[in-house]
Amino acid sequence: FRYTRNLVDNGNGKFNLMILCWGEGHGSSIHDHTDSHCFMKILQGNLKETLFEWPEKKGNGEMTKKSERVLRENQCAYINDSIGLHRVENISHTEPAVSLHLYSPPFDTCNTFDQRTGHKHKVTMTFYSQYGERTVC
Amino acid sequence: LPAGLSQWFPALEVLDVSGTGLAEMGAELLSLPCLHTLLAKNNRLGGPGSLPQGLGQAPLARSLRVLNLSGNRFAEVPPALLRLHGLRSLSLGGNRLHGIPPDIQELQSLEFLYLGGNFITAIPPELAKLPSLRYLVLCDNKIQSIPPQLAQLHSLRSLSLHNNLLTYLPREILNLVHLEELSLRGNPLVVRFVRDLTYNPPSLQELAGRTVKTRNVPYAPSDLPESLVRYLSLASNCPNPKCGGVYFDSCVRQIKFVDFCGKYRLPLMHYLCSPECSSPFSSASQSSTSQSESDSEDEASVAAHRMQKVLLG
Repeated sequence: FRYTRNLVDNGNGKFNLMILCWGEGHGSSIHDHTDSHCFMKILQGNLKETLFEWPEKKGNGEMTKKSERVLRENQCAYINDSIGLHRVENISHTEPAVSLHLYSPPFDTCNTFDQRTGHKHKVTMTFYSQYGERTVC
Repeated sequence: LPAGLSQWFPALEVLDVSGTGLAEMGAELLSLPCLHTLLAKNNRLGGPGSLPQGLGQAPLARSLRVLNLSGNRFAEVPPALLRLHGLRSLSLGGNRLHGIPPDIQELQSLEFLYLGGNFITAIPPELAKLPSLRYLVLCDNKIQSIPPQLAQLHSLRSLSLHNNLLTYLPREILNLVHLEELSLRGNPLVVRFVRDLTYNPPSLQELAGRTVKTRNVPYAPSDLPESLVRYLSLASNCPNPKCGGVYFDSCVRQIKFVDFCGKYRLPLMHYLCSPECSSPFSSASQSSTSQSESDSEDEASVAAHRMQKVLLG
């Protein structure tokens, strides 16, 4: 009922390669990338990426949007913590979207941010499936 | 659709005519007895003739399980669609809907309802009468408030409300015990305490309805017009633990912020049946004891703790 993260390859511990499947209207929270490189390629459909500035230390106001763009099929994007934070969404109400993500080094926790206040919260990321097998939580 | 469709393919179960520029779907659909999935997204449907006449009597009314009409030009939900009583999944995303008909409750088997990307301004309480609804998408609309009755959707697992015009949520949202996902971003949720004690005196119909409910006056569908039977079924219980009252449309509204472990402050609106009723959360109530206040606070924070997983997902 929300986008799924499906692990494809763990690169002997050096990276995580995964496929994300986004239903109509599915979007992620605003998140960081735990000091890793993050590459994203659109395999099907379109995804909107909205970049945000890091909130102030004692952030207590609306987060600042830096830019937004719609990534089309086969387009690639890159982000890391020094560039900023982002939210990724499938804004289509008619088409699902599929994206390929490469994270190096791999990470399984990150921070999500409340756009209205800048407050962050650490979350553990989980996989819907790994190497084609459904992951049971 | 080509005439003769049902003669060539009488056993057809899945028909996908998406992206074909279709403006009408006619009688050719009516004689497909095995059709359970009809995908007609990204077409030019929405005018008269989009769906065939006599749909209610056709085998399709019982056999169709999945209907996808997203990306068309529907300005209203076609009444013929509501005859499809076997429907489990309905998508009308990305159309031009301004509202949801109360008769949506006829689709009693509905599990999945996608209405994102329209111009919907309000949600009829009758939407709550769908007992199997698990996944409700209302994102990217113009919705200003959620009726408290929506908390009666006990099967609801996922509720998508992002990018609307909500300033608060009904407190009853905490009652959705099976809710696993709730999206609220992109709503102008109030972040400061708002003391709003507006109260419209109840109508005669409301007063009569309240008496029927609180005094347990027996009635049968044969005693009343159908519209009144429906009205009586939409009664909400006053959350004040000391009051056994019910209300329909007339109530006192107060916004209370529920803290989700110091991370989110969700403005929840709760409704009391009259200004004399003291709020379970109100710190200014004279009659309630500190015990009942803290009980209600606990109940809210337990529910909030469960919901925390939902909001942060």
